[in-house]
Amino acid sequence: MKIVVPLKQTVDLVEELELNDDGTDVEREYLTFKLNEWDEQALEEALLIKDAGGAEVTVVALDETDADQSLYGALAKGVDRAVKLSGDFEAGVSSHARAAILAEFIKAGGFDLVLIGVQTPEDLDGQTGVILAGMLGLPHVSVAVAVEADGDGVRVTQEMGAGVTHQLIVSGPAVVGVQAAREAPRYVPISRIRSAMQAGGIEHQPAAEPAASTGLTVRRMFAPQSSSHAEMLSGDADAVAGRIIEIMRERGALRV
Amino acid sequence: MSHVAFPIVLGIALLVFTGTIGGRIRLLAAARPSPRFDRIPERLQRTFVYAFGQKKFLTGEQPAGIAHAFIFWGFVVLGLQVITQFGRAFSVNFNIPGFGPNQLLGPPFFVARDLLELVVIVAVSYMLYRRLIAHTPRLFGLGRAEERYRKAPHWEGILILSFILFIMVGGLLADAGRLVWLNIHGNERAFAPLTALVADVLGGLGRSGGHTVSEIGWWLHNLTVLTFLNLLPLSKHFHIITAVPNVFFGELPPKQVPRKRSVVQAPPAGIARLDPPPAGLTGVASLADVSWKQVLDAFSCTECGRCTSRCPATASGSPLAPRQLVLDIRDRLYEHPEEQRGVVEGAAPLISDDVLWSCTTCMACVEACPVGIEHVPTIVDMRRSLIDQGRVEPLLQQTLENFAKQGNSYGKSSRMRARWTKGLDFVIPDARTEPVEYLWFVGDFASFDERVQAASQRVARILNEAGISFGLLYDGERNAGNDVRRVGEEGLFEMLVEHNMGVLRDASFAAIFTTDPHSLNTLRNEYPQYGLDKPVYHYTELLAELVADGRIKLTTPLTGTRVTYHDPCYLARYNRITDAPRKLIAATGAELAEMPRHGTNTFCCGAGGGRIWMDDSKLEERPSEQRIKEAQGLDGIDYFIVSCPKDLAMYSDAAKTVGAAFEVAELTALVERALGAAEPEPMSALAGGEP
Repeated sequence: MKIVVPLKQTVDLVEELELNDDGTDVEREYLTFKLNEWDEQALEEALLIKDAGGAEVTVVALDETDADQSLYGALAKGVDRAVKLSGDFEAGVSSHARAAILAEFIKAGGFDLVLIGVQTPEDLDGQTGVILAGMLGLPHVSVAVAVEADGDGVRVTQEMGAGVTHQLIVSGPAVVGVQAAREAPRYVPISRIRSAMQAGGIEHQPAAEPAASTGLTVRRMFAPQSSSHAEMLSGDADAVAGRIIEIMRERGALRV
Repeated sequence: MSHVAFPIVLGIALLVFTGTIGGRIRLLAAARPSPRFDRIPERLQRTFVYAFGQKKFLTGEQPAGIAHAFIFWGFVVLGLQVITQFGRAFSVNFNIPGFGPNQLLGPPFFVARDLLELVVIVAVSYMLYRRLIAHTPRLFGLGRAEERYRKAPHWEGILILSFILFIMVGGLLADAGRLVWLNIHGNERAFAPLTALVADVLGGLGRSGGHTVSEIGWWLHNLTVLTFLNLLPLSKHFHIITAVPNVFFGELPPKQVPRKRSVVQAPPAGIARLDPPPAGLTGVASLADVSWKQVLDAFSCTECGRCTSRCPATASGSPLAPRQLVLDIRDRLYEHPEEQRGVVEGAAPLISDDVLWSCTTCMACVEACPVGIEHVPTIVDMRRSLIDQGRVEPLLQQTLENFAKQGNSYGKSSRMRARWTKGLDFVIPDARTEPVEYLWFVGDFASFDERVQAASQRVARILNEAGISFGLLYDGERNAGNDVRRVGEEGLFEMLVEHNMGVLRDASFAAIFTTDPHSLNTLRNEYPQYGLDKPVYHYTELLAELVADGRIKLTTPLTGTRVTYHDPCYLARYNRITDAPRKLIAATGAELAEMPRHGTNTFCCGAGGGRIWMDDSKLEERPSEQRIKEAQGLDGIDYFIVSCPKDLAMYSDAAKTVGAAFEVAELTALVERALGAAEPEPMSALAGGEP
């Protein structure tokens, strides 16, 4: 089975987010980037399929900030190929454009399965996988919590509400949006990442330049407003109880 | 007393012994190399102090320690007695040349022999009492980690002690009976009070009776010696042969950058510096990766349990006991030597993951071991193999990924690292752009933990008041990597070192000081290998010196304040810094009450070696809580003083859990109060500053 996992770099939220001057985007100058955590889950699931019965796993990333780190990390974890698609992505890439670029690469590669993170923290619309499946004309399953080889297709487990799961058999090539891998993503020691970097091993290809538009423009972004805060009550039990009753009266929960 | 039978018995015994010892030597020869042939004079010196001088026995637990020392010295002197008695198989008046009754060394030998025979008989009787009557727990297995050891038979110790007793009594009877039988007088009686006394008692039996007693004693002595010899390589008493070389080949203290003369210059522990794994090896996964020094360690274990009795992991009910770990390696070597030749499919792991992850690397085991076994480096070697296979628990994995991305365990942006300085009313220079005398390497906990940030601010205020030139690396600093290395993530350690060395090379400073003993250990002992050529101090060394110089004046003595002080493992045990913090406490005027375990014999808080990034909910009782209870045993303590950021966090929590009447406070809290400059702080602020 030939599996491809598209990897996306997203904002590392350890840095404080600020809006840019015209309030249409976050200020990107001081941001640091890391691999989208859901893509990390998709990668782990691909490696688990490979561990279970053999598969050729390819990762592909657009040439965005620190994409090399993610690709080398994947090589160190044991993927067979890592491909970097170069192009001008300075201004950001919309879900539609990203899907179109990936679709061109995937069509040429003859893959049996596309595993992609179900969403990114940046664009919680979770569209890239769906659009990609549409562009490729392939069946699509989303919010998968397990993907296992099954004949010439895959058995996908989806998590529904209240602990209910259901399984789908998808035959032939498909695109699966992965919510979580069956196991937590494996740890790869730094020495292995470093030897992967020394060995090189990232293939470079020019990205396709499709005319894809989201049809969306951002008019205004807002920083989250803190809407409530906690009040710490101190003193002995009587004082604290008294204050609680007072608050309940203030808020109209207690009328006596 | 010429015997035809004896040379035959001796020949057979030596042949069998050669066969067994050959098997043991093959295990050593098949092991991986280990570079332990350097710095021979230092090795001889430590062999003299620790092996022949029996230092760890004399300074350790008593009276078992002194009893062992006498048995050891007894063996050395009585080796001459063995040669003499063997020689008497051929000539009844044989003496080693120079040791004859009227020769120079004869009389002193008789005195020493008699004295040591008596002392060894007393010491061995005491040890038999411990095994047969007192049932000293340390000898039979401690905690749940030593269940296997507890269930194993313990007759061997009793047998060997009986053998030693037979050798002593046999030799004594042989000598005393001979005096009667051959009617010997002169120096052989005059300088041998014990032998002469026994001979007087035997005198009533007449010369032929003396002959019989002498024969029985002689055979008892010689046969026991030969049986004993053959039992050695098959038993824990192999240490009689291997312990001296094991001490000789021990890890020597790493070379450090010279520090100024005004500071105590104690060399660090030998294992303060770990070495990277040898080329082509990621860690120790099986017997095939074990080095000959690790094999010699396993041979040398006497099963005394001094290591296990001091281990915080064992004491808190974790699956690790250092003695059991060494014995598991030894038993595997004896039972499955084929595993030395390569990976055996389906073989059980040498040591299981949960045992390896339980170690806090506090070094109490290595410190306690009288025969120079190095448990901690072996555990780290095995952890390296687990890391290589990605066998890491989730919390630790997250922490390691935080280190890789952000350079700190918290996963916070490096830009937040120096945020604690915002609470100061002065600006600390950036050593990357401004030359300073001291570079302050702050460390993660002191930078990011809210409780410890207050302590960091206090250190800054005190040094600023004293007019000391110091600076920070600000967002350039990364975790120094001490515990990352001891978790076994060598690649990550190297990455952190490379980053820090890059920043340090571009900064201008004369010396480093750090508030963190863990950072101190790696900066002082390991960074020189990566090019660091500046001396490294702990802040207590620096402050103690400033107080001694009068540059810091403690004008408000804290008379009537009673404190105890907890020595951090990486400060006291690894780097032998125990005086400076005590001098500082004395200078504040506070009264210091020592806990039973202090100085290099301190007890671990449970945070080291990466344990702080692992789940501790399965422990029966956390080491930190045990330690707080130890302090509760002292009368009327006001403060439990710490000098390590991790300790402040660990013990503040533990004191709350245990419900201690005293406060946990960082050493500078005392210093600042004694300076008289500080605002009168409420107790909780002293504890580290919870708002």
